[in-house]
Amino acid sequence: MPEFFHRKIERNAIGFVVAIVAVASIGGLVEIAPLFTIHQTVEEAPDMRVYTPLELAGRNIYIREGCYACHSQMIRTLRDEVERYGPYSLAVESKYDHPMLWGSKRTGPDLARIGDKYSDAWHVRHLINPRDVVPESVMPKYGWLARNELRIEDLGAHLVAQQDVGVPYTQEMVDNATRDAYGQATPDTDAASGVSERYGAATQVRAFDGDPARVTEMDALVAYLQILGRLTEAPYKQSAAAEAGE
Amino acid sequence: MVRFVSGLTVTERQVALVVLLALSLIGLAMAAAGRGDPMGAQGFIVMIFSVGLGFAVMSGYYAPEPDESRLSRYYDDPTKVGIVLTMIWAVIGMAVGVWVAALLAWPDLTFDAAWASFGRLRPVHTSGVIFGFGGNALIATSFHVLQRTSRARLPDQFTPWFVLIGYNLFCIVAASGYLMGVTQSKEYAEPEWYADIWLVIVWVAYFLLYLRTLARRKEPHIYVANWYYMAFILVVAVLHIVNNLAVPVSFAHAKSYSLFSGVQDAMTEWWYGHNAVAFFLTSGFLGMMYYYLPKRAGRPIFSYRLSIISFWGITFLYMWAGSHHLHYTALPQWVQTLGMTFSIMLLVPSWASAGNALATLNGAWHKVRDDATLRFMMVAAVFYGLSTFEGSFMAIRPVNSLSHYTDWTVGHVHAGALGWVAMITFGSIYALVPWMWKRQAMYSSRLVEVHFWLALAGTIVYVFAMWNSGIIQGLMWRTYNDGGTLAYSFIDSMVAMHPYYIARAFGGLLFLSGAVVGTYNVWMTIRAAHAEAAAGETGADVPIAAGSGAMQAGE
Amino acid sequence: MEIAHDAVVAFSKSWGLFYLVGFSLCVVAYAYWPGNRKAFTHAKMSVLDDDDRPLGDRPLGDRPLGPEA
Repeated sequence: MPEFFHRKIERNAIGFVVAIVAVASIGGLVEIAPLFTIHQTVEEAPDMRVYTPLELAGRNIYIREGCYACHSQMIRTLRDEVERYGPYSLAVESKYDHPMLWGSKRTGPDLARIGDKYSDAWHVRHLINPRDVVPESVMPKYGWLARNELRIEDLGAHLVAQQDVGVPYTQEMVDNATRDAYGQATPDTDAASGVSERYGAATQVRAFDGDPARVTEMDALVAYLQILGRLTEAPYKQSAAAEAGE
Repeated sequence: MVRFVSGLTVTERQVALVVLLALSLIGLAMAAAGRGDPMGAQGFIVMIFSVGLGFAVMSGYYAPEPDESRLSRYYDDPTKVGIVLTMIWAVIGMAVGVWVAALLAWPDLTFDAAWASFGRLRPVHTSGVIFGFGGNALIATSFHVLQRTSRARLPDQFTPWFVLIGYNLFCIVAASGYLMGVTQSKEYAEPEWYADIWLVIVWVAYFLLYLRTLARRKEPHIYVANWYYMAFILVVAVLHIVNNLAVPVSFAHAKSYSLFSGVQDAMTEWWYGHNAVAFFLTSGFLGMMYYYLPKRAGRPIFSYRLSIISFWGITFLYMWAGSHHLHYTALPQWVQTLGMTFSIMLLVPSWASAGNALATLNGAWHKVRDDATLRFMMVAAVFYGLSTFEGSFMAIRPVNSLSHYTDWTVGHVHAGALGWVAMITFGSIYALVPWMWKRQAMYSSRLVEVHFWLALAGTIVYVFAMWNSGIIQGLMWRTYNDGGTLAYSFIDSMVAMHPYYIARAFGGLLFLSGAVVGTYNVWMTIRAAHAEAAAGETGADVPIAAGSGAMQAGE
Repeated sequence: MEIAHDAVVAFSKSWGLFYLVGFSLCVVAYAYWPGNRKAFTHAKMSVLDDDDRPLGDRPLGDRPLGPEA
């Protein structure tokens, strides 16, 4: 019987193809299938919010410039990492990240908890010329971010695509995407108030690049960097509870 | 150009023109709809590419049709062009690699241009060498091996061109997109949705071409090299489709959002990433090895059975190993343990393959000594064994806690990419080029020798630099001083990397110089062949006679 | 469709292992099946053949054989 079976496979290219696909994909399925039920194991974080349109635009700039090639956003459960970067990363923190930006290489430091660690002005100077603030740095200069006007008129379409992949943006958020992006970087305008109404009172509304007159790519990227690790308090509470328990 | 077009029947020339017309219309639509978005520029590239090729086809449109006697020969024109493209991509991809390596030592080489920053150039390097160099090498050699081992000609003349040229269009769209900032930021799967869809179309044609040729085969048994090529084609298709599922912002936007998020996306990405190593950078190149190594050595493979066992072992085990990229992360621990276990088991089929290759050479060591081409293949097998061992070792969780995020990973990847993938490719190309252009040998065997030593020296310098820097980095990050606090700041560890980054750039430069020498050698061999054909104008396309065995066994 | 995560994991861990073992046995059996020896030897030798043309419509038995002939 095996004799007959193998002859058949070997003589018939289609059978061979089926065999390869079966062998290869069962491995994948066994390993991947549980991940489709994994939301049952992901921690609860009721305070977790979605990215504002400006932060999302900043995230897209982070993606566009390939920052993931040198910076991770995943603090491992190792003592030295927790002491260097902060509480280890939880799965829930990247549940709205399409795609995730955990990274695989630290030519520069981890950025999972970079939010609120430095001032906006420091980030702006650092991005324009990293060696102005960190003389030994090997990071490229990103001067064009401060020069380029941010493209905000199509952010509504971005939010719709985000809805399609499962991020809970409301219709109101979609309708006001462009206005909110503008408002978050221009605190003194009428558009500014809507941002905290829709995304929570703690949302940072300010001229991130230091210039309230323009909304630049720098505004967006700094807004994104300043929210990293700040979308939920869950990891901080968890590590505080662990310390209290010891 | 006319030379290649004249190999197509008139119907095939018409089909080619229709396809190119459709492509240029798609390009036009992209350019029109995507104004103000990188999509527009990508559309122009597609349009220029297809219109240019359209002119090339037109220039040979009225050439006489090939006669029936072509059916009694193999169809090697796409392989020839594929070899040249392989060498061109090798030089481009490796040159960008040296450039990005230099950027880490001297960061101000970007002259304030967005396209010249590390983050945008790095995928040009990785895609350039993996997909441009590696992919073209796989396509070119697979057409050759498939026909020889099946003893059948490719079923038609159009499809192989569609696969080869379509694939290169994908590479060009991808690489130019990175420079404009078009990327999904998924490592080794950076191209955006429209390029991904195009690759699926090309890949289906490739797969069907393989099946159609196999169906015409005159050998009852499918030679094992084809198993490896088939696994490469099939599994890469599955991986590519699943990992690239995404929703574009609109049809006029280059940007898309991946379907998966967070931990699920991470697992899918590294399931893809690791199996791209398995089925793109291992399986396909093992197929190359199982054909060109015995052929060049003039000896049959040591154990055919072992090659079958390792084939199924690799196909089966690799699928589970991806999660070793995510040790100590938010991924559930059982998946991490599974990945580690299977990574260690993978050592068995990997070493079986490497051992099989080396045992084949046992008894032919004098040939390895005299013939740099065979030596390329031998060293490739050794590096394959070394880097698979290193890979299994690094997948062990405690080891990974040190090595992950450091240059050690980069060193490991390059031990595999330079030492294994590039060496087996260069070895195979040096064997293949004289056969394809019907020459006794390469233009210069001295230059093959020069290339070999440049490549070997470059690989060793590179890998040792990265081992050192990676381990130092990993240790510095976790060193505590007597007070119980971290001893080094991140910047301290970066400063310590500087000399190694310079050494790495130098190693890469050596390897690149080797590739340039190789490209020159291939080019001169082709020129000599054309010069002879023009001088003799014998017209008859004489197949290699039986007496050519001596040439194949090493000059 | 709500399948319990633990159930999926348990299935993967147990049946995945059986699948692995069973599969390995099949592969080894195939590789060492005595009836396959001839085909494997032929395949092994056939690549060394120097005849660089497709076989066309020549009957199988008529083709030039490799060194094993």
